[in-house]
Amino acid sequence: MIVLSDYLILSAIVFCIGLAGIFINRTNIIMLLMCVELILAAVNTNFIAFSYFGSDIAGQIFVFFILTVAAAEVAIGLAILTLVYRNRGSIDVDVTNSLKG
Amino acid sequence: MEFTSILFYVFALYFIGSAVLMVTSRNTIKAAMFLILSFFSVASLWLLLEAEFLAITLILVYVGAVMVLFLFVIKMLDIDKSTVRAKFTKYLPLGIVVSVVVISQMVLVLSAGQFDLDNSMGPVRHAADFSNISQLANDLYTLYVYPFELAAVLLLTAIIAAITLVHRKEGRSKKQNIAEQISVQAADRVRLVSSSPSKSKESK
Amino acid sequence: MENTYLTIVLAPLIGAIIVGLAGNRLGRTLSHSIAILGVTVSTVLALYVFNHHVLEGAGVFNENIYTWMQVGGLNMSVGFLVDNLTSVMLLVVSFISLMVHIYTIGYMQEDEGYTKFFSYISLFTFAMFMLVISNNFMQLFFGWEAVGLVSYLLIGFWHHKESAVEASLKAFLVNRVGDFGFLLGIAVLLMFFGSLDYVEVFTLASQVNGQTMFGDISVITVICLLLFVGAMGKSAQVPLHVWLPGSMEGPTPISALIHAATMVTAGIFMVSRMSPIFELSDVALTVVMVVGAITAIFMGLLGIVQNDIKRVVAYSTLSQLGYMTVALGVSAYSVAIFHLMTHAFFKALLFLAAGSVIVALHHEQDIRKMGDLRKKMPITYITSLIGTLALIGFPGFAGFYSKDMIIEAVHFSNLPFADWVYYAVVLGVFITAFYSLRMFFIVFHGESRVDQHTEEHVHETALSITVPLIVLAIPSVIIGYLTIEPMLFTGWLDNSIYIDASEHGSVVALKEHFHSAFGLLQHSIATVPFWMMVGGSLAAWVFSLYRKDWAKRIQERFHRTNYVLESLYGFDRLNEIVFVRGSRKLGDFLWRISDMAIIDQFVVNGSARLMRFMGSVIRPVQTGYLYHYAFFMIIGLMLVLTWVLVVGENPLLFLGS
Repeated sequence: MIVLSDYLILSAIVFCIGLAGIFINRTNIIMLLMCVELILAAVNTNFIAFSYFGSDIAGQIFVFFILTVAAAEVAIGLAILTLVYRNRGSIDVDVTNSLKG
Repeated sequence: MEFTSILFYVFALYFIGSAVLMVTSRNTIKAAMFLILSFFSVASLWLLLEAEFLAITLILVYVGAVMVLFLFVIKMLDIDKSTVRAKFTKYLPLGIVVSVVVISQMVLVLSAGQFDLDNSMGPVRHAADFSNISQLANDLYTLYVYPFELAAVLLLTAIIAAITLVHRKEGRSKKQNIAEQISVQAADRVRLVSSSPSKSKESK
Repeated sequence: MENTYLTIVLAPLIGAIIVGLAGNRLGRTLSHSIAILGVTVSTVLALYVFNHHVLEGAGVFNENIYTWMQVGGLNMSVGFLVDNLTSVMLLVVSFISLMVHIYTIGYMQEDEGYTKFFSYISLFTFAMFMLVISNNFMQLFFGWEAVGLVSYLLIGFWHHKESAVEASLKAFLVNRVGDFGFLLGIAVLLMFFGSLDYVEVFTLASQVNGQTMFGDISVITVICLLLFVGAMGKSAQVPLHVWLPGSMEGPTPISALIHAATMVTAGIFMVSRMSPIFELSDVALTVVMVVGAITAIFMGLLGIVQNDIKRVVAYSTLSQLGYMTVALGVSAYSVAIFHLMTHAFFKALLFLAAGSVIVALHHEQDIRKMGDLRKKMPITYITSLIGTLALIGFPGFAGFYSKDMIIEAVHFSNLPFADWVYYAVVLGVFITAFYSLRMFFIVFHGESRVDQHTEEHVHETALSITVPLIVLAIPSVIIGYLTIEPMLFTGWLDNSIYIDASEHGSVVALKEHFHSAFGLLQHSIATVPFWMMVGGSLAAWVFSLYRKDWAKRIQERFHRTNYVLESLYGFDRLNEIVFVRGSRKLGDFLWRISDMAIIDQFVVNGSARLMRFMGSVIRPVQTGYLYHYAFFMIIGLMLVLTWVLVVGENPLLFLGS
């Protein structure tokens, strides 16, 4: 029998893998965004699991919206990245530090 | 061991495996591919959880649109592979430490048995012709219609924002003007100059 | 009646405003006519008021004319309290002011600021009226400050004379010290009585009597002493007397008006007005008496060595103010007011006569350059003689009655130190006679030491100067005789002055011993003060006319005493060293250390520098690198999770249920 906690633990593990990915791949912005996608996937799994086991459709509706927002976020994030590349010539982190205090 | 349990473990393994591979890969394209694999395993897991609509939507929207977009941008931009490799091992220990800490904390919470999750929340078995879509739609268009509309507006805003950000002005791209091309004269294209041959002694 | 009082108060103000603003355009004659008209109106109406209240015995008028503001439960308004005391003061002030106004026509003839002067003295009259007619402390303080202000303006009237400017500042500052004490007194009064209205305060006085502050100091004593500090400033008692001699830098008319007859008597008036409160504090009364005695005798001694004609009269004023203060101290308030009134007349007369001499000798003020003027200025001579006789207490003249009453009152007093004070005031009679007659003889008798050129032109001064002299000479002779009985004994001032007869029975004892004014005259030969006066006069004659070289020899013999007297007991030096230099050093210190170093450098610049420093420390946190931010976010998340799990009362840490 698969119980709710199994799904939650799975989701937690992948979440932390995503966090670690942010840590490890800090220099590559594309990788950063992809790790964020991973985290979002884990969280969505969490919601769906609760929706299934709790017999409440609200979890799936929430995932619906999370998908929407994630898509919008990716679009704009990549647009910004393109602009940075266009203006600076590379997306190396050393050129993207102009907010330095 | 039920068949669904086996499926769960398989897909869970795929999920975690592809996640780890994605995170540790040094090639960005490979990382994107692994992410797609992980999305497929997620979709399978959702199917197990009887969220069919969302599973398919994940494939269609996320993999079909968002990851494609990712791949476009990866190919378009010039990513220096050397910088990726250089700093990889430096932060690995810290990353592992952090993730281990967080994981253990979450597991601690979940396995403590305090929530009595296993007993209190049991899945509801539906009839075979139970439609997940209609259940979703029932609530989405009645109770949550306002957030739904807002989400639409959000997407519209994202579209406009993205386009406005990368929009180039006129003149940056080249366009053909046929009439001008036909009416061109030789003098517009060629200029004759006289130059003396080189008088260098060492010319060969 | 209210309109009458308003007219009395406002007529000089209107005159002052018109002449002040449009004086140059109106021309001299019209200006002085307007000013004099204003004061004449006030004088006539004051006579009417006097008649109405004192002679016909009308009741007390006490009303608020205009409410200025109400703050909390405190009502500050402009109000008039007209009883017999007020009527007497109104009459004296307006009459003297009128005399001075007329006198000014002749005295300030050659001066450029002719119209400005008239405006100022009318303004002063208004301020003095407001002071005496007020029915609450706020208005009293307003009048108090206003007379101080106009005094400052008038002393420094000749503003191109540096000594005048210094003197005016000195007057204002010393007055300020007194006013500060006065204000503190009003504050304490307000704190304990809850009201600034005279009548309310007086009715509450017995209730507040027992209360103490700062341990066991009686509240009433504190209030009285602080109010008296104000009186000390205004009425020039030691040690706040230093401004009066300097005030002689102003034109003589104002010396007569302000510094002899009216402003300096404001303090005496105030203490009399506050008699219900002062009666409750023996300590305060003793202090008043002793301070007055010190002033009376020591200032008199200074009058002996002065060589400027106006300064002799100034120190005489100081000494006589001391007498009035002594009378207040022994609870003989009506005697003090009586002496105030007689003194106003003869001292104004003496000042104006001195002014007449000065003008005749073309602004020469040193008595060593005068002499033998009696034949050349007969009217001035005779009026001066009358004034001097009144001052020294020659039997029958006004000063005799008032001064004698003061001495008798002291004799009957049972306050501590009363014996010493008695000796002091009796000795004071000798000293008064000595310096007054010394001045008189040197100026009018003896051989003429006047400068040759001036002597040819010496003649009696104009009518506008001599007529006021004559008019003032008349009351100097008769007013004592006429008013002593009603004012002191048959209760002219009864509805204004309160005396606790059981404790302070001087006036009662006086009354028992008094038979009639004529009786006093007859008895005079038997009293000690009479012989003191005779002795002083004789001494003056000897040293000024008979054996002039003896004076010089004594001065050399007792040169140390002489030095002390000539340096005015060192008060000026003391003030300069302690207060002037001290204030300057304090100001310097505050400027350099407190302002520049502490506030500018440390607080203002220092806080800026601190912000800069903190910024430079915190700023590097913003590295600009995205992954650093992500890093911090994750670490933060981890910490929050740890905190929630560990720190909170978390049953989740119970592993296994």
